[in-house]
Amino acid sequence: MTTSVSPYAFTAETFKRVQPEEYYRKILEQDVRPDGRAFDACRTTIVNAGCIGTAEGSAVVRIGDTTVVCGIKAEVAEPTLDQPQQGYFVPNVELGPLCSARFRPGPPGDLAQLVSERLRSLLYVGSSKVVVLEDLCIEPEQAVWVIYADLTCLNYDGNILDACVLALSAALKDTRIPRASLDVDEGIVRADEQATQPLTLRPFIFAATYGIYEGRLLLADPNASEEPLMASQVTVCLMEDGQLAALWKSGGGLCSMEQVQQCIAQARKRYTELASLVSSSSSN
Amino acid sequence: MDRRRVQGPETSVVPLPTQEALAKRAALPAPVQDGKRADGRGPEDIRPIFLRTGLISQASGSAYIELGQTKVACAVYGPRQLKKQQGFSEQGRLYCEFKFATFACKKRRHPIRDPQEKEFSQIIVQALAPSIRLDRLPKSVIDLYVTVIENDGTASCLAAAITAASVALADAGVEMLDLVAATSLGYVHQQLLVDCSAAEEAYQQHTDLILAYMPSLGQVTHLLHRGPVDWPPMAAVGGACCVHVYLLLMMHAQ
Repeated sequence: MTTSVSPYAFTAETFKRVQPEEYYRKILEQDVRPDGRAFDACRTTIVNAGCIGTAEGSAVVRIGDTTVVCGIKAEVAEPTLDQPQQGYFVPNVELGPLCSARFRPGPPGDLAQLVSERLRSLLYVGSSKVVVLEDLCIEPEQAVWVIYADLTCLNYDGNILDACVLALSAALKDTRIPRASLDVDEGIVRADEQATQPLTLRPFIFAATYGIYEGRLLLADPNASEEPLMASQVTVCLMEDGQLAALWKSGGGLCSMEQVQQCIAQARKRYTELASLVSSSSSN
Repeated sequence: MDRRRVQGPETSVVPLPTQEALAKRAALPAPVQDGKRADGRGPEDIRPIFLRTGLISQASGSAYIELGQTKVACAVYGPRQLKKQQGFSEQGRLYCEFKFATFACKKRRHPIRDPQEKEFSQIIVQALAPSIRLDRLPKSVIDLYVTVIENDGTASCLAAAITAASVALADAGVEMLDLVAATSLGYVHQQLLVDCSAAEEAYQQHTDLILAYMPSLGQVTHLLHRGPVDWPPMAAVGGACCVHVYLLLMMHAQ
């Protein structure tokens, strides 16, 4: 074999398309990932809050190319009979055909439903709720606030869960709802747009996702081309004092106890980064 | 019932404003005072435009446009093969899905597309199809997805969407005759205003116009007009604004 390249050899781009797993393995052998990141490095993360004037609260989050917009709208409804003092919190994730060729038009797919459910389940972690629902009460048994948190993905490049949790946290922090009162004679709620107040929030939860490659390597913040190559993924959700809020492991690959411990340790570092991003993101 | 989304209460409403706020709203100042509008524009000025292409890395082509506070994202996928059940087509097809994000408007939109959004999708297809060489793309379809992130004037959203979609098609390398520049006009208190904001649209409007135009060919691709009007001056202003938008697009292309 001479040193000249055979005319039948693949270019790097073709090799990546034809043999994605082999391509990936060859690059990882050099202790680096295809996009030049170290194994434990997350992509550049940007948080911009308060950018949508029509919403009560909003945030745009970019993790690498993954872009998620969260808008919060507040409306008034009757409370349920069994919880007459509690408002509603309704998070929904929209992964439309705009953000990637893998999503079709129509109702939310499995992934969007999964992320929506995860966001909703984060509300009920621990002793207190992310949004204090009792503070959304306008008049017991009559009227309460409904907080609609809608997350729209504009560009899907993997790790949608982290981006959604981050966008939701930043948007909730940015939210201000008008002071409202029930007019008993007329039976309608009037809101004073001039006098707004922030939501009562519990300290934030942030998520950090790690892909486990061949049961041995931990890769932080996998992107869309890496995700299908990971046998399993671990998502660590942490609360303010480093306490564990939720831990999700998906996929069937092997994952040792030490690796989970490692994920949690790395997530603690990531938490401080994200917390400072959110606290400096606010426009007001 | 929609079981694929997290459900809230069956109905919810936007609370009414207080009596004082209602009184203040009834006594609005004139839309144009001393030749200036509320945001300092003249009656025939469009708002500043911010345009970026290629922000949606997964798409074949994309454009993001801001027109004042109006924010619209647009992605193009394709040309891709027409599915079998869609039949055979000698010409390429253009498909558009226009959607307001639920939080984009003053009142929350439902996540499922309503008739207005479907109408806007059709308008975008009609406004752009004449500019594309669809005869060169047999058996294929170009998918166009538009999401409005913030609505500051519904007519301006549609105009911005048409402009952005045209730029996104160019970004995707689709063969076109010309870029389509669109603009919106309205009559408020007998005064012709270009590119109305949401606050200006809140005035009683009897006349409005959305114009999509290919300036270098001098062809109108779509025109949507309502209300009694003195036609020549309105058409002249509309055409001039489209040319203005077009020049901005050309500057962006360089």
